[in-house]
Formats: sequence, C-alpha cells, structure tokens
Amino acid sequence: MMNRAIQVRGLKKSYGRNIVLDGLDFEIEKGETFALLGVNGEGKTTALECIEGLRKYDSGTITVNGKMGIQLQSSSLPAHIKPMEAVRLFSKWNKAKLDFTMLNALGIQEIEKKQYIQLSTGQKRRLHLALALIGNPDIIFLDEPTAGLDAPGRVSLHGQIRKLKSQGKTIVLTSHDMTEVENLCDRLAILNNGNIAFCGTATELTDKIGETYFIHIKTQQGNSTFETDTIEDTLISLLNDLKQKEIPILDIKVDRGTLEQHFIEMARRETE
Amino acid sequence: MNGFLYGVALQWKLDIRSKSLLVTCYIVPLIFFLLMGGIFTSVMPEMGSTLIQSMIVLSVSMGAFIGLPPSLIETYGSDIKKVYKANGVPVCLGLVTMFLSAFAHLTITCVVIMLLAPILFEATLPIQLPFFFLALAIYIIVSLSIGSVLGLTVKNQAKLTMISQLVFLPSIMLSGIMFPIELLPDFLETAGLIFPASWGYRLMLDHGFCFENLWYLIFIFFAAVIVCGIVLKKQKAK
Repeated sequence: MMNRAIQVRGLKKSYGRNIVLDGLDFEIEKGETFALLGVNGEGKTTALECIEGLRKYDSGTITVNGKMGIQLQSSSLPAHIKPMEAVRLFSKWNKAKLDFTMLNALGIQEIEKKQYIQLSTGQKRRLHLALALIGNPDIIFLDEPTAGLDAPGRVSLHGQIRKLKSQGKTIVLTSHDMTEVENLCDRLAILNNGNIAFCGTATELTDKIGETYFIHIKTQQGNSTFETDTIEDTLISLLNDLKQKEIPILDIKVDRGTLEQHFIEMARRETE
Repeated sequence: MNGFLYGVALQWKLDIRSKSLLVTCYIVPLIFFLLMGGIFTSVMPEMGSTLIQSMIVLSVSMGAFIGLPPSLIETYGSDIKKVYKANGVPVCLGLVTMFLSAFAHLTITCVVIMLLAPILFEATLPIQLPFFFLALAIYIIVSLSIGSVLGLTVKNQAKLTMISQLVFLPSIMLSGIMFPIELLPDFLETAGLIFPASWGYRLMLDHGFCFENLWYLIFIFFAAVIVCGIVLKKQKAK
C-alpha cells in the first residue's frame, strides 16, 4: 500500500434497485494520472464521490493514502461571492496558507473583482480547481474538468494538470474527451455495467481491441472513411475501384482509430 | 480571523450585495412602515402606543419568512453545499452564517423603525427598553428559525414563494398588529395563536415580557432547531 495512493476493493453502490457499482476493484499508484471512463450513467461520478467520502456506499473497502483535493463535476458557489473571498473562506477552514503562486498560475487574481455569477465557465472551472488545490493536496480528483470549456480553456487546464503531475501529485479524473485522456493519463479504467471492463494504459487498450484500421479517402466527390480488419486487401480493392471509375484521389490516410472509437467498441462488445 | 468569523463577515457582505435581501429586509418593510404608520395613526390615533411593535412584527416576519429562505435554498438546494463539503467546510456553516447575518440586518431595520416612528408618527417608545430589546431579539431568533425550516425543507423557489406567504400573511392578519384580535371570529383568534407573530407582539408590548407570552416561542424555537438538525444530518449523510 506504501506506493498506492488509492485502493478500491469490492465497491458496491445501488440506488434503489439500480446497481450502479457492482464490486469495483482497482488501485492507483502515487504520482499517477488515472482516468475513469464510461458512458453517461455508468457510475464514474458515483465511484469518484464514494472514494472522496462524499457519498455513502453499500459495501467494499476504500483506502486513500494522502490528503485529497476535490473538483466536482457540477460545482457552484453563492452568486455574489468573489473568487478570492471563496479562496480565503476555504483556506481558513482548512487552516492552509494562501499559495499565491498557484493562484497566479490559475489566473484567480485577474478575476478577483468579479462576482461568481459574472464568471465564464472557464473562469469558474479555474476557480474550483484553485479551491481543490488549497491545502496542497497529494491526491487531486477532477470530475470532467474540461467539460464546457472552449479550446484555449482546455489547453490552459491541460497545462495546469501537467504541472500538477510534474509536482508528483496523484490525479484522478473522469472525462468524455478521449484525446484528453490519451494525452494526460498514465492509465485508464473503463466502467461498464457497474464493473471495470478494462484497466491499463491507452496503448494496451489499443493493442487489445484495436485490430481495426480506418482508411480515410478524399476525392472531388467528398470524404469517405472505410473500416477494415484486412488493410492490404481493402486498400488495393478501394484504389482499383476508384481507378476504374476514374475518380482522382486528393488525399488518403490510414490509422488505427482513436481511443474514443476503441472505447465505444469495447462498451458495445460488453453490452452484447 | 478564524474560518467561522470570516464566514459570518462574508455572509454579511454577500447579503448586502444580494438585491433580494436588501428588498425584503430593508426597502419593503420600511416602505410598509412609512405607509401603514401614516394610515394607522391617522385612522386610529391610539395605535401610536403600539405602532413600533406592530411594524417590527411586520418587518421581522417579512425578512425571516420571505427574505431568508431563498438564500438557504440557493445553498442547500444546489451544488454549493456539495462544494462546501468537498472543501472541508461544515454543512451547517451556510445556515449559521445566514441566520446571524439576517439577525443583524433585521435588528438594524427594527432600530431604524424605533428611531423614526416617534419623529414621523409621534409613536410612543417602549417603557422598559431592556425587556423590549430582549423580546425583540427572541422574536427575531424564533422567526428566523421558522424561516430556516422553510429554506431547508422546501425544495424549490416556486413552492417556497407560496409556502412563505402561507406563513407570512396569517402572521400579519391574525396577530393583532393590524387590528385588535378581539374583533376576529373565535376560530380565527385561535388560529392566530399558531403563528409566533401574535406571541412575539404581546411579548414586546409594555409589561408583556412574561413566561405566559414566552413559552410558545421557546417551544417553536427548539422544534425548529430539531427539524433543522435532522435535515442537515440527512444532507450530510447522503
């Protein structure tokens, strides 16, 4: 357990007759960036909130080795509170000193004169991240941290997450953005039907179910994508077909699909 | 300054920034006071001796039943309480700070009424000021405790508006502040006793500070504390 930040064993949680978590088992190493994935309603947030101690669970054991900082998926603050007032309130309750370096990095002091109701989605996300980082936590939970953010907001937040990772923090996040997960996370777990359908690295996931190739062809008639397990035969056949029809090829690309496509495929297989 | 004191001071500031509390704790009660003070003392000059108590009951009831609950719903009916919990702030902090802040705001309104009434309407100041202030503090606390129950138990603003009015209007109409309760039919006179306004009003009158007028307010306060405690405990355990 010494190198583990979190250990979850047999975690079960139901809402009435609806079993959301049916015996989850996984560990997260110290300093690791770990993603919890799953389609909507698969229990990512429930699992996270059980680990965070915000939600009661039916059975199982959860061991957390370190101080936690939590950014919730749906967060709110009083409409008229100013960012620095919220930061001061929470830091006083946690008896933590204000970390102005962190606050500057997140741009909290730039927005200190605005009230919460006047902040943009990105500014609110940054503020809630700052609140989660008060008290210098060892383990940081980020529940869909970039949901609703525009591209610059995402890039900025990714930078912050990387910086936290470089400081040796353990980061646990949920996300629907697979590119984000591929870029930021060391390992990921996919939740399906209340259980872990997969736990490993993005490469391992791709190796496991990524036999499918995608051929993207651009012609004057438009873009087409073909999915195949036999790259050589399909590619030759497609090229011959286009040559016969005298359709000139403007661009051609072959890839093994994104993690998102694999994830959807895995969820589909599990359902079947 | 520790977290709790900072929370109280911050809530005071937030209440001032919030226009709704400004309206329900200051603007509307003081407009009512000016209007009704003028009407009452012209129609029934003898009301000058009880005008301060009447207008205070009206203002406190409005602030406590209509002003406080929406702020509580904003915190306890939303994700704010979850954020507090996630960041190590006790769930009850919102309730306690809002209660204390509303107490301060309502006390200021009552003092303004006390200072203006003798000048504008030749109203009589209470004879036993220490007892009057004690009775006032008790009435504000009891009214706010009822407002707290409303804010914590009613789940949305639309329902709250209706339920608050169901508490506020009978408090005003049946408590004896608008007209003597002896003029009401017996059943309405009895119904008026359910609402703390009639007890608070009698407690604030000269020579009214006695256990006979106090016990019901104490009972209501402790009942409200128990209800709030249960609701908060449930929210914490969820």
